[in-house]
Amino acid sequence: MARDRVIMLADCQSFYASVEKAEHPEYAGRPLVVAGDPERRSGIILAACPIAKEYGVITAERLGDSLAKCPDLIIVQPRMALYIDISLMITHIYQSYTDLVESYSVDEQFLDVTGSLHLYGSAEELAALIQKRIQEETGIYTRFGIGPNKILAKMACDNYAKKNDSGIYTLASDKLATKLWTLPIAKMFMTGSRMTRHFNAMGLETIGQLAATPLEKLKTLMRRKLGRNSDINAELYWRIANGLDDSPVTPGTHETAPTTIGHMMTLPRDYESLEEIKVVLLELTELVCQRCRSKGYMGHVVSVACMGADYSKPSGFSRQMKMDDPTSVTNQVYRYAVQLLKRHWDGLPVRKVGVSLSQFAADDEYQLSLFEPNQEKWMALEKATDAIKRKYGDTSIVRAVSATKAGQAEDRARKIGGHYK
Amino acid sequence: MRKKLEGNGLWESSRMMLPEHKAAINAYSESLRRRVRIELDEQEWEQVSRVVSESLLRRQPISVRLFHPVELLTVIGIVDRVDELKGRFMVDGEWFPIGDIEGAALEAE
Repeated sequence: MARDRVIMLADCQSFYASVEKAEHPEYAGRPLVVAGDPERRSGIILAACPIAKEYGVITAERLGDSLAKCPDLIIVQPRMALYIDISLMITHIYQSYTDLVESYSVDEQFLDVTGSLHLYGSAEELAALIQKRIQEETGIYTRFGIGPNKILAKMACDNYAKKNDSGIYTLASDKLATKLWTLPIAKMFMTGSRMTRHFNAMGLETIGQLAATPLEKLKTLMRRKLGRNSDINAELYWRIANGLDDSPVTPGTHETAPTTIGHMMTLPRDYESLEEIKVVLLELTELVCQRCRSKGYMGHVVSVACMGADYSKPSGFSRQMKMDDPTSVTNQVYRYAVQLLKRHWDGLPVRKVGVSLSQFAADDEYQLSLFEPNQEKWMALEKATDAIKRKYGDTSIVRAVSATKAGQAEDRARKIGGHYK
Repeated sequence: MRKKLEGNGLWESSRMMLPEHKAAINAYSESLRRRVRIELDEQEWEQVSRVVSESLLRRQPISVRLFHPVELLTVIGIVDRVDELKGRFMVDGEWFPIGDIEGAALEAE
């Protein structure tokens, strides 16, 4: 029989804030947050250091609220490119202990150390060794959840390693009855407030109760509550509750071809006219097409999403349509995107716009179209502008509309994930 | 939907990865796969030139291993010409740089 796997989930404590504290030794011992720009409506707390959290500052709250709780708060602008670099640095440290490392997010990574343990003793000893090394080399405190699979490693980290003194916790299969199944269902992986409400309404209060529910019965319960297509989710939650997961730690997981490429942005103010929305729609389409072209794809289905500005009256749409032929030419995709916008937009102010392309085909072969006699010319033009942007930066050549008040291209080029590089 | 229950699906569908982060990870793992040039010593060069002249003079098919940063590149065929001045040799009408040669052997008939 194969040996039991030993999987770790390593999580960096208050990652962005910890990076900033390591970069600014003068802020040691003081409360610090990384927060977006309040004037551009990204003024929320992205990360708060443990000292700031003691004052009651919580992630994702508005900057103003945090300042009310802690007037001495040090506020740092995010530097996303730096955080990615540090995250990779940490990946390289993990890779010196095992080649099986998979990034799950910028601050969480899975390690399969099954084959390395004979060199280091127990899993806890190895975790402590890595934890110490990362603290010394980057100044960041990491927590390790350890288990026989990824699910248990993740839940060990979230529920125990983040809360105990050592920052290391092993959730073994034989400890599930006392350590996992007694927890309230809200503590389960993938269970947010909405799912917690649903499970509670089904009479399931603890992870153990969910685990003990026969799968067929859970499927019936969830179908009744959430519609006919709930069987897969039922099985998923049931497996999580029982700590069953055979997914491998997959280092090459990010190399798989994407099934959809999309960009979405929150606007700095609400856009009210069609003309203004069309400007960002074009800019987003350009970005999406540029990414497709860099990968050698043409998309066949375009989808456009808009979210209304008024939170109390949720409005907006997300619709898609199939284009006549696959393409990655901005102007062609844009034509369809505008059609979607005109057809489905209700005229109310908009705060968020997104465009995405899917159903890819390779762009080295394409159908000759009667309606696009200049396809070759268009593709050559796009290739030339892409080359200019690669060499001189994304803002070196932009469309004229980007220079209008509604244009966001310039600001967006300075950001990663909606926050400054 | 079904994919969530198979392979690595659960984690691929639930992760939060910035596209820039993904690109950086992929660029790094690609850099690890890049091959470095092999330096041939005198004896190996002698072996290569013997095989190449064998092919050139007696029309024997040979396989020549060439350097390529990411791929395993082998040219199989009969050497038509060798241009030592420009440092290149021709197989089936196509020129290849002599400097890229990492090894050569006679093809088994």
